[in-house]
Amino acid sequence: MNLFDFSHSVGWLWWIPLFPLMATVWLGFFNPSGKFAAAVANAALLASLLLSIRAFAMTWGPEAGVLTANFTWIQVAGVNLEFGVVLNPLTGAMLAMVTFVGLLIFLYSTSYMSRDPGMTRFFCYLSLFMVGMLGLVMSNSLLLLFMFWEIVGLASYLLIGFWFRKPSAAAAAKKAFITTRIGDLGFLLGLLWAFKATSTFLLFDGGQGLLEIEQITALSATKDVLFGLNGAGVIALFLFIGAVGKSGQLPLHVWLPDAMEGPTPVSALIHAATMVAAGVFLVARAFPLFLADATVLGIVSWVGALTALFAALVALGQYDIKRILAYSTVSQLGLMMVGLGAGGLALSEGGVSIGTFHLLTHAFFKALLFLGAGAIIHGCGHEQDIRLMGGVFNRMKVASICYLAGALALCAFPFTSGYYSKDQILLSAWTAHGAVFWISASASLLTAFYMTRQCCYVFLGDYRGKGPIRQSPSLMTAPLVILAIFSLAMGIVSEEFYHILTYLSGIAVDQHAWIVVVVSWVIALGGIALGLLIYGGSQLGLDATDPMKGSLRTPYAWLENQFFIDELYDATVARLWKASAVLIVFLESGIHFLVETVRGLVTGMGGFLSKTIDQKLIDQISFDGVCDRIYKSGRLNAIIQNGFLQGYLRSVTLGAVILGVLYLVFAR
Amino acid sequence: MIVAFYLLALIAVLGAGLAITLRNVVHAVFSVLLFFSALAGLFLLLLAEFIAAVQVLVYIGSVGILMLFAIMLTTNVVGDPNRPVQSRGWVWGGLAVVALLAGVLLPIISRTGGQSPTPLSDFNPSVKQLGLVLMDPYFASLGVIALLLTAGLIGAVVAATGASEADQAKTVPENRPRFPNN
Amino acid sequence: MGLTLHHFLILSAILFSIGLVGALTRRHIIIMLICLEIMLNAANLNLIAFWHFSSNPLLMHGPLFTLFAIAIAATEAALGLALVLAIFRHYKTIDLESIRDLKE
Repeated sequence: MNLFDFSHSVGWLWWIPLFPLMATVWLGFFNPSGKFAAAVANAALLASLLLSIRAFAMTWGPEAGVLTANFTWIQVAGVNLEFGVVLNPLTGAMLAMVTFVGLLIFLYSTSYMSRDPGMTRFFCYLSLFMVGMLGLVMSNSLLLLFMFWEIVGLASYLLIGFWFRKPSAAAAAKKAFITTRIGDLGFLLGLLWAFKATSTFLLFDGGQGLLEIEQITALSATKDVLFGLNGAGVIALFLFIGAVGKSGQLPLHVWLPDAMEGPTPVSALIHAATMVAAGVFLVARAFPLFLADATVLGIVSWVGALTALFAALVALGQYDIKRILAYSTVSQLGLMMVGLGAGGLALSEGGVSIGTFHLLTHAFFKALLFLGAGAIIHGCGHEQDIRLMGGVFNRMKVASICYLAGALALCAFPFTSGYYSKDQILLSAWTAHGAVFWISASASLLTAFYMTRQCCYVFLGDYRGKGPIRQSPSLMTAPLVILAIFSLAMGIVSEEFYHILTYLSGIAVDQHAWIVVVVSWVIALGGIALGLLIYGGSQLGLDATDPMKGSLRTPYAWLENQFFIDELYDATVARLWKASAVLIVFLESGIHFLVETVRGLVTGMGGFLSKTIDQKLIDQISFDGVCDRIYKSGRLNAIIQNGFLQGYLRSVTLGAVILGVLYLVFAR
Repeated sequence: MIVAFYLLALIAVLGAGLAITLRNVVHAVFSVLLFFSALAGLFLLLLAEFIAAVQVLVYIGSVGILMLFAIMLTTNVVGDPNRPVQSRGWVWGGLAVVALLAGVLLPIISRTGGQSPTPLSDFNPSVKQLGLVLMDPYFASLGVIALLLTAGLIGAVVAATGASEADQAKTVPENRPRFPNN
Repeated sequence: MGLTLHHFLILSAILFSIGLVGALTRRHIIIMLICLEIMLNAANLNLIAFWHFSSNPLLMHGPLFTLFAIAIAATEAALGLALVLAIFRHYKTIDLESIRDLKE
């Protein structure tokens, strides 16, 4: 492995995350002034962008295959842990997208954060995030990928909680970290399972890697490993759990809307364009494993479709501009999962390009929407409630036009970039499974509808907020314009478009179904028309009720409250936790009862029999004693959650004992 | 040989056992010093002279003194004579450890092979050997350890002196019960 | 019958358990630190015993590892006791039952 060899190996790819890393270290240790910090971070990312473009160009050709550069990290007990980087079309496209969108967002934040006293810290974290994301995209080892995955999670935590003095931001950061951790556990299990089954972490290793034909064949040959899945399917399922956490899919989506507490550029970069797409990327990266078991592909597409529909519904009832976009992100990520799952079922290896293409286009238009929302929020005096906006179009022409361009792409308006990528997803779903297709189609319809609703609220009518609308500086609008051009143009170059699909998967993708084309036209135009019909002429604002709410009161309350999912988790998971504490208290008093009874009997032999039974057993132990004990330890979490250090230590020991005994019993 | 082992083992178990049962903390520290020295003897028995010397220097010499200082700087050594030395629910802690010993440690030990492939004293690993190994393949580790010690020292100084006037002002809120009254 | 590896392993297991019992049951925080040291020493004894009965003791893996462990343990002891001082200054007590701030 040679970092300086730019012609023969791809070890130089390491420079791509190294530049932001240097920026992170510099900003972290020397704490320069904010302006300078921004310059450093931008320069480092620019260097990465140039290298990424080179990497992208290398993969953009008919003969592009998989290039790797591996090295042995450590050797322990005859096991080699190997790390490495890989360059294939997926990596090349992701690198180019992440650095390009990233640089635009960095430039935007240079202006957006210029008044914030924590600007240096902000760029330090942002560069750290870039290190993680770029490393994640190019790592060739599942373990290395996991490490970068965690770095990305850490950076996300730090940035959501960037304004950590605000309690809601701190709480949102914690929630995001813990929720994604549940998914990460799945990833970790999948990773360990893969290592146990194949004794390698490398994804591509000249025929021996985890994702190459030999291992896949061997893995899929072992039938019925767990839940009736084959060896590859189990690993894929666990990896998918990790992806569910990171990409905010259905059971674990709760963190993503709350993550909007972070600064808006962070929402654009991390929680719309790149990090949340890491889950989708993971599925795309490990796609051969998923292909080996059709059941897992089915799970992926169903989870994706349900998430898409659910989040689109919830987005209908929101009033916070960023929250609407957040739910829209969740919904679009669901569609990407549909693209991967259904694409795999319909096209086998070609399926990877379906989901990934939507990932790429989505990154552009969703980053655009968030940055536009940031400009609007900035302009309206940091107001995020769309009921207090309105009439923005006439005051902020450039930002509004860019925002509308992004919204059109999101609605899959014909001949924008979103239209082409979503069309492919729907086509795959049509081939794979009818129900998944109709769910995704209705999610897309709702997407067009809620985006129209939002735009009506924000852009039409009179300005309902307080204070004057401020214009954005040109450093903020320039990235918007560039992103808008890309959102629209990535689709307009439709000749190249089929080439992109072929490029991403290496297999020619060619699917047509006239009904799907009709449906997607109807969806996009119909959704927008419906939205205009309902919201176009209505009186909007805080004092006026939402037109939807007027006719559909009860269902709309569900939407406004996000289907009460947070409350559901409060009522179930948290309750369960407390209930288990109560249960343990009861168990404890039961054991106490036994112990004391035995002691009572032994003492009884000494001649105090009657006295003991009367006072000790009846009064103290069985009735009063138990009551007293329940009361005492019934300061509810007497054993587990009481802040008593040694109580925790005892539980740890007990856990170690249980694990050890299990090991001893089942190890051989 | 075997007599020395049992003698030292007895001292070690006694020292450790006393350390966790004595009420007086200073006495406990002294008995743990006894334990440390018995362990140094056991190291000698296993032909690890250098480790034995390090044990005496580091544990008996400095860690023990450090603990005595910490006791001097904190609180009375006997504690409230009316309260038990054990914390609430200590039986469960004890049971957990018994389970660990009987359920995990001893079964694992019974699985290891007992006897060594070479007799005890056919080889004579010297301090010189250790020094050579330390300088050649493990030099980097030695450097890292030195760095760690420095960082730890600085950290300890910061933690021990740390609190500024502002911090000292807001020590314990008044409504916090110092001792639960059960 | 001479000394075998089992002798040392069992002794070390017993010493470790004594240390763990102390760490889990005593309410005095300095005693808890002492118990941590006891457990570390028991582990060191294990390392040295394994080295002594290994097939190639001239590699010196056991003493090296023990040496590093002792260095880290010394750091840990210094840091731990410094933290005890800080805790004492903050709470005016070093009774583990009275320090409950981990409770949310």
